[in-house]
This record gives sequence, C-alpha cells and structure tokens, in this order.
Amino acid sequence: MNELFSRVIRVQWSGLLAVCILAVLALTIVSPNFLSEYNAFVLLRSLCVSLLVAYSQMVMLGVGQMNLSIGALGGLVAVIVGGLMDAWGVPTLPAIAIALAAGGVAGLVNGWLTVRTGINGFIVTLATGSAFAGINLGITKAIPFYNLPADFVAFGNGRLGPIPNLLIVPLIVSVLLVVFFSRTVTGRHMLAVGGNSHAAELSGLSPNKAIIEAHALSGLLAAAAGILAVAQLGSAQPSIGADWLIISFAAPIIGGASLAGGSISIIGTLLAVVLIGLIQNAMVLLQVDPYWVTFLLGALILAAVWLNRYRAVRVGED
Amino acid sequence: MTVQEPIAAPSSKWSLAGLLLRGSTQFGLLVILVVMWVVLSSIAPGFLSRFNLNSLGRSVAIDIVIGFAQMVVLATGGMNLAVGAIGICSVMAFGYLLQVLGLPIPLAIAATLLMGAAMGWLNGIAIVKTGVNSFVVTLASASLFSGAMLILTRAVPYNALPPAIGEFGKAAVGPVPALLIVAVAIGIALYVLFKHTVLGRELLAVGASERAAQMSGVPVGRTITIAHVLSGMLAAAAAMMLTARLAAAMPSVAGDDWLLPSFLAPVIGGTALAGGAVSVIGTVLGALLVSTIRSGLLILQVGNFWLPLFLGAFLLAAILLERYRALLVQRHRTRNA
Repeated sequence: MNELFSRVIRVQWSGLLAVCILAVLALTIVSPNFLSEYNAFVLLRSLCVSLLVAYSQMVMLGVGQMNLSIGALGGLVAVIVGGLMDAWGVPTLPAIAIALAAGGVAGLVNGWLTVRTGINGFIVTLATGSAFAGINLGITKAIPFYNLPADFVAFGNGRLGPIPNLLIVPLIVSVLLVVFFSRTVTGRHMLAVGGNSHAAELSGLSPNKAIIEAHALSGLLAAAAGILAVAQLGSAQPSIGADWLIISFAAPIIGGASLAGGSISIIGTLLAVVLIGLIQNAMVLLQVDPYWVTFLLGALILAAVWLNRYRAVRVGED
Repeated sequence: MTVQEPIAAPSSKWSLAGLLLRGSTQFGLLVILVVMWVVLSSIAPGFLSRFNLNSLGRSVAIDIVIGFAQMVVLATGGMNLAVGAIGICSVMAFGYLLQVLGLPIPLAIAATLLMGAAMGWLNGIAIVKTGVNSFVVTLASASLFSGAMLILTRAVPYNALPPAIGEFGKAAVGPVPALLIVAVAIGIALYVLFKHTVLGRELLAVGASERAAQMSGVPVGRTITIAHVLSGMLAAAAAMMLTARLAAAMPSVAGDDWLLPSFLAPVIGGTALAGGAVSVIGTVLGALLVSTIRSGLLILQVGNFWLPLFLGAFLLAAILLERYRALLVQRHRTRNA
C-alpha cells in the first residue's frame, strides 16, 4: 500500500487528477444540473480554446522562454480569419489555412527577434504583443466581423450528445503534442535546450534553432486557439485573446511545468484546464459571484507552485 | 603636465555622431525626444498649445510613477506583474476611504499608501519564503488582488469624491501641472535613494549578483521584500494620482492596462531587465517618449487604435538601437586600445 502510494505520488499529475475527480463528485452531489447533457456540453466547450492557449504557452515554457504575445496573436489571427471570410469572401478551409500560416509567421518573427537581437524574450513578446494588438485594432477599429460562412459557425455550435465538435481539435493537438515531445527529435531537442541550454549546445544542439521552432509552434497553437474562439462565438471579435494571459501561464504551471524550462506535462496541463473549467462551471451552477474565479485562479497558481516544490523536496529525499 | 586624458580627443570626434556614441542612453533618448517635439510641433501647431502640454504633463506624471513602480523591482532583477492590480486595489480603496468612510484626505492618502505597501510586502514575503520566481508569484497575486477587489467592491465606481481631489488633479503652478510636480518629487527621492543611500546600493547589488551580495553581507531576502514594498507604495501613489486626474475612482482604469507602460518607461530608459542597473532620469524620459507618441498620434489624428502598434515598435526599436550603440562603443574602444 505504501509502495503504491509512493509510486502514485511520483506521477506529477496524480494530485491534479484526484482534485478533478473530487470536484466532479462534489459538483454532482451539490448541483443536480451538473451532469445534465447541456451543462456537460457547455463545460466541455469552454475547455477547447483554453486548452490550445495553455499548450501555446507550455511549448514556450518547455524551451525555457515565455510568450506574452499569445493573446494578441490569437486576437489578430481571429480577426484575419474573420476578415478573410467576411470582407473578402474566402472559403472556410483556405481562410483557416491562411490564418494558421499567419500565426506561424508571427511566431517565427517572435523567435527570430529573440534569437537575433539577444533581447530578453519577455520584452520582445511584450513589444510584439502590443504591435499585434495595434494591427488588430487599427484594421478593425474594434468592430467585429459578423458575416461568417454557415458551415463554419455550424461546426462551432455543433455537438454529438454532450460532446462539442470543437473538442476534436484540442484532443488531436494533445495527442500530437504528446508524440512530438516524447518521440520526435525536434521535440526532445526543445526540452533539452530548456533543461540546460549550455549542455545542449555542448552536445551539438542549436539552442537558437530550438527557440525559433518553439516560437513558431507557439504561434501556430495560439492561431488555432484564435480560430476556434471565432467558431465558438460565431463572430470574429477583436477582443478575442485579451484575457488569455493568466490562463496561458496558470494551466501549464498548475500542471507542473517549470518556469526554468525543460520540464512540461501535457496531461498535467490538460487536467489543469479541466480543473479551471470545473471551477468556472461551479461558480455558474452555484450562482456564486463570477469574480471569485479570478481570485481562486491566483490562489490555485500559488498553491500549485508551492505543492510542486514541496513534492520535489520529498521525492528528492526518498 | 599630467598624463593626457583619453577624453581629450581631436575635434572631429565631437561631431553629433560621436556624441551620440559616447553619450549615455538617456542622452540618446533626449535627442529622440527633441526631434519628435520639433517635428510634431511643426506639423501640428496644436501640439505646443497650452491645453495639449497641460494634458500631456498630467498623463506623463502618472506614467512616470507607474514606471518607477516597476523600476524598483527591476533593480533587484525581479519583476512585478501585480503593479496594475495593486493600482486598481488602491484606486478603489482610496475612493472607499474618502467617499464611504469620509476620512480626511491626508489620512486617506496615508492609509492607501500603507495598503499598497502591505500588498507589496505580501509579494516580497511570498517570493523570498518560497524561493519561487517573482514572475509567477506576482502573476498569481495580481489575480488574487484584483479578484478580491472585485468581490469586495462589485466594480461599482466611486463618483462622489471630495471636490479637492479633482481640483488637485487640474491644479497647476504656472504652466506645470501639480501632478507632474508630485512625480518629479518622487523621482528626486528615488534618485537620492539609489545614488546616496545604503539601501539603494544594496538593491542594486542584489540585482547585479544575488550570490555576491549575500557573501558581502547584504540581507538579500529583506532587500527584495523592501523593493516590493516600495513598488507597492509607488503603484498606490500612481493610483491616487490617476484618481485625482479623473476626479473619480473607477476599477476599469488600471489592471492589465498598466502592464505595458510599467515596463516601457524603465526599459526604454535603460534599466536592465537582468537587474543591477537603474536610471531614474531614463525612466522619466521613457515615460515622456510614450506620452509624446500617444499625444502625437492624437494630434495627427492617426487614431488611438494604432497606438499599441507604435508603442510596441518603439519599444523594440529603442532596445535595438541601444544594443547597436553599445556594440559600436565597444568596437570603438577596442580599436583605440
């Protein structure tokens, strides 16, 4: 029994899984509406965009960098995809492809600037984030694009029982990311650079290449999140992404990623997004002041960081 | 005759380019500012109007103090993402103390400063005790602070403040707005702190190298906590100045909006993100540059929507120029050596 316990506690996301299960059980008992088909749909749909946003930051934390421009980038891509479809009448799939490419290019710009200028990635992405937001607002004058193709909007609203169509995207992305970081050379190189940039360089890896690749991937994921947000809302709001900053850091960090780089957990990030979604859902079901979500998110980050350190010390002593 | 000083260079080196090369970041900033002012005032005569300068002065005063709030933490090599959150908490606390409790103004100011200091102290203690990165701690505490404020106040603004608050926001000594005088006074105090006091040197020492500072007997934990207390107080001061300018306490005026300006002014002004180097004058000039861009865009009727793009581009350009200049100086020195 003791051995089982110590094995479970070594799995980084075991605690999160336990908390999520407890939260689901508690909500089922307290609120009969929780397991209703519609509520399950609403809950699952709220996770889709957050998951991609969290992954977008998680990739950056993997190489030991951070990306403050995720929200602005997602918002810009949302406006691009909306503008292409509404103003220029581009069909759905090409519009999505162009928008994804734009996100990837924006990520490349972030990466290139970070590597070539040697300026701290924090400042670079703070600046480019401001620039992306400026382009977004300058183009749209803060007016959303409403006339989107019917098939696109239908996909965003569609569901199979309690499962929203949109959930397909983050699930596929999750599987791809697991494969990417555990099985591909590029993914392993990124984590090696994040873990110890100097050692990686001495082993013949190029930290600069890994950082640029991570930024491009982060841009792609943020772009996917932006497009998904448009599909979910049914309109391309310029304000998309404005509130992504906290969740983008909260989920990977609660999920066990180290800010120093080299250590990330995709399942942990996924469970953290689920937990945050459960908290938001509980606030609605129990008719609690929604402002509590902001408060609890802060408390959760602090608790998770503290717990991770505590566990690291415990496991290290064993 | 003593040994000839290397500074006594031939006259050709006193060209503008040479001066820019050997001058400080702050001097370069000043040149950029003067050029911008000349260009803006020749394109748009309204730029130098008394009305525009007055509104520029009042907004730059607040940007300066927000920049200071970030600068004192940057000095120790940390960062404070909770500057905006402490700001909105202070705005609402100030409004509550004046309007609901009816405290006298000096007492309300003191209490708000104390609250800002307390929030900064919580940040500092959490960082020092847990050893967690200041970025994560202040990201989390920003969420905690603004969440708590929203729960307590329900985001309802306080509109019936004593008229003296709004009057102070509009007041001016000659052509200089009173708010700007406050900002400059705070700047002088910080300049003295960093140049002439033990605490200031300790803050910079911790930022330059925590380990070296510790070995030289600097109480590192206490110094980092003090930096955050100072940052909280400065954020509270900026919040009260903003309340005076708007003559009302509204929760929507700070928060995320302060994140970019708080970094813009010090970083453009030459404060290193790695810690150990600050420039009070640079932060003032950086804030002036930001406000000039904002005001210039308004005057030229480019529209406020493009403002973030220009700010982001300027931030990048300013840092790139500084890097390039440092490189040139180094090459120059190597060649002369």
